[in-house]
Amino acid sequence: MSAEPSAQELRDLVAEFEPNKGHVMPALHKVQETYGYISRPAIEAIARQLNTTPALVYGAVSFYSDFRTHPPAQTEIAWCSGPACRLAGGDRIREAMQATLELPLGGESDDHRYGIHVGQCNGTCSEAPQVWLNGQVVGNLTVSKAIEMAREIRGGGE
Amino acid sequence: MNVELVNLRGAAREKWAAEMNSGRVRLNVTLDTSSIARGAEDTLAALRNGVAANKLAADVNITGSWGFCWMEPCVAVRSSAGTKTVLYANVTADRVEEFLDRVVVQGQDMPELALGIVEGNATAEIPLLADHPFMKGQVRRLMANLGFTDPENIDHYMANGGYEGFGKALEMDAEAIIKEMLDSGLGGRGGGGFPAGRKWDFLRSANADPRYLICNADEGDPGAWVNRVLMEGDPHLIVEGMLIAALGAKARAGYIYIRYEYPLAIDRMRKAIADAYAKGLLGENILGTGLDFDLYVFKGAGAYVCGEETGLINSIDSYRGMPRIKPPFPAQAGLWNKPTNVNNVESYANAPLIMRNGAAWWSGVSDEKEKGTKMFTFSGSVNWQGCIEIPFGPTVRTALDQYAGGMKGGKACKGFQPGGPLSGMLNGRELDLTLTLDPYRGKGMFLGSGGIVFFDDSACVIDMCKFFVAFCEDESCGRCTTCHGGSQRAVEVMRRIQAGGGREADIDNLEKLIQTLVWSNCLHGQFTMTTVKTSLKEFRDEWVEHIVDKRCRAGVCEGLIQYRVRSQTASGLEEAAAICPTGAVQQERGQWFIDDGLCIRCGACKEQSPDGLEVVPRLAATPTLAAATAAGG
Ligand SMILES: Cc1cc2nc3c(=O)[nH]c(=O)nc-3n(C[C@H](O)[C@H](O)[C@H](O)COP(=O)(O)O)c2cc1C
Ligand code: FES
Repeated sequence: MSAEPSAQELRDLVAEFEPNKGHVMPALHKVQETYGYISRPAIEAIARQLNTTPALVYGAVSFYSDFRTHPPAQTEIAWCSGPACRLAGGDRIREAMQATLELPLGGESDDHRYGIHVGQCNGTCSEAPQVWLNGQVVGNLTVSKAIEMAREIRGGGE
Repeated sequence: MNVELVNLRGAAREKWAAEMNSGRVRLNVTLDTSSIARGAEDTLAALRNGVAANKLAADVNITGSWGFCWMEPCVAVRSSAGTKTVLYANVTADRVEEFLDRVVVQGQDMPELALGIVEGNATAEIPLLADHPFMKGQVRRLMANLGFTDPENIDHYMANGGYEGFGKALEMDAEAIIKEMLDSGLGGRGGGGFPAGRKWDFLRSANADPRYLICNADEGDPGAWVNRVLMEGDPHLIVEGMLIAALGAKARAGYIYIRYEYPLAIDRMRKAIADAYAKGLLGENILGTGLDFDLYVFKGAGAYVCGEETGLINSIDSYRGMPRIKPPFPAQAGLWNKPTNVNNVESYANAPLIMRNGAAWWSGVSDEKEKGTKMFTFSGSVNWQGCIEIPFGPTVRTALDQYAGGMKGGKACKGFQPGGPLSGMLNGRELDLTLTLDPYRGKGMFLGSGGIVFFDDSACVIDMCKFFVAFCEDESCGRCTTCHGGSQRAVEVMRRIQAGGGREADIDNLEKLIQTLVWSNCLHGQFTMTTVKTSLKEFRDEWVEHIVDKRCRAGVCEGLIQYRVRSQTASGLEEAAAICPTGAVQQERGQWFIDDGLCIRCGACKEQSPDGLEVVPRLAATPTLAAATAAGG
């Protein structure tokens, strides 16, 4: 998440992976775990290492929702899109948070301080409706609580 | 039995016995994703600090889920003499000081947090846990260790019957293992119910090497977390199950494909595999028997369709997890085009039990066509969102009333989804169906993998259908236009209905899409419209109401409803204006009103002023042709 890694650094990072062994996803995970996202040079480094084309590696990046091509915002809100959360008003919470943050789902603020994206149910449905703030569950929300939280996130740092 | 295994198990039993007879109090804290969401990590830390600071004669351990997910953190307390164990719920960190003082220091019970007595006699204040309605009728075989053993400790597993089934399988030939599996009648738990023994036999008879096993731990159905409970609670059950499958199907390597949303399950499975390698239970020449079997965890990255077995295979050996066209089936050409068997987590996890205790014991638990036990999770508008294991047989009503604690607020069950977004939707009138495969097949739907979602009259059927089809649209791999274009069209039609633009032809439009999508390449597309199809039967009135009368009885569909000020004098209107994220709650010359153009129908205002605001219909009914003619128009 810091400065751009050098080409050498990227090559070293993925040096353990081999072609035709199902290593595309593990390599992408490793890059994302290290830098928070998958840059174009990282895609090229993986392609070279695995003896394939950047297009095919990018094809994988774009297929899976967890892989991101830009650094995450400082505060990432993952909104639970699951059924229990929806039945507890989750979709109204999404509308209200998006209106408060003035962001589309999947968007982030210009200053990269906050963003909101879709999350999937992981079976903590007793906490519905919920969001994850940088991976931590914030559950049993009401629309009002969600708006207050979004206002705080948006106004935070001012 | 294999001498090395006998020794390993003997050593494990000794360690376990030493722990059990330590003369110290044992505190088992449920540490899984559900309990962590409710603060179990803080509870664990507070317990450890408290025990250390006060030099208490107690050991704090972690364990898997009892299934009481809605009352976490759960802590089981076993007395120093080992004669009594009490299960406590909602032991949050702020209660730990008092908890330790009363339960450990003073050696008393704490009835206000107690769920029941696990071992020992009931007291005047605390009943037996087995008498708790949530526990009655449950038969915990897969979940037997959960609450008792540490999932990160291989010795705990081995000391409690672990790897005994594998030991027995080592003495059988592949045919005998498969025969035992076939005799058991174990059907796949991932939704299809296909006999596991037959699948293993396909793999065994394939004439190419190497053969692969895959454990499907993608558990993408929102509302289902049974596989997670098992992986986080007893990961060796899956390792052992795959080892038995390796013997029966003569496989050389296996992959456990786990969705990335389950980081703790990934960690626990990785730890279990590493520990099994360290004990010589995986790798080359396992326990000196000449068996070679490697096992890996493969982490997914967020794609529902990777739960479809050929999508999963492509996700490992290629780039994008797009389902393949069958045939060839995985047993002929799967991973790297080699013979491959894919089973669900719960399917593999039953194999150790079948081998350990025999097919007759295993299948004897249920009289239904489906044998053995099945795990279920419950969510939605119910009181208890938990995880259970029962023999096949009970009805959905039993599940709802007994295991899910009934509907919230005592409301009626309007409907339910039996198992995932592809499974369909049933009316609450159908609660007497059994939780077996056939009743759903008969309705052109399926039971699914165990996550049942219940809803009451606050849910709009059209909105739920739109939601599930939109999920399928998002998760379509994009290979066939039938699926990705068809689901997109269906979502557009439903959005239009929700916006108030429903046309009488829309039901026909949706029927056409139902008939079209069944021609999709894979089951994802083929089942995308199941929810719409079943709901058009089960809830037809509600569809017609939306389209013709422009009414959403649940008050959900944005274009059909409107927020309105009901009382100018009610309390909370100032607060409503303050909370509104779009400034729609306004005041002019002392009169409150809602600017409908600004209102996004989030309902925050009504939370602030329940009496001041109301939801009313926004549109007049479309005059049907018949009505218009009758009116002389
Ligand atoms: C779109 C789609 C998603 C699926 N997701 C899962 C899943 O998450 N877990 C699972 O075990 N099976 C899932 N299946 C079923 C698998 O394709 C496969 O039938 C199953 O893993 C076989 O294991 P079993 O015989 O032990 O049930 C899915 C199927 C489809 C069409
Ligand atoms: S639906 Fe949100 S956690 Fe399950």
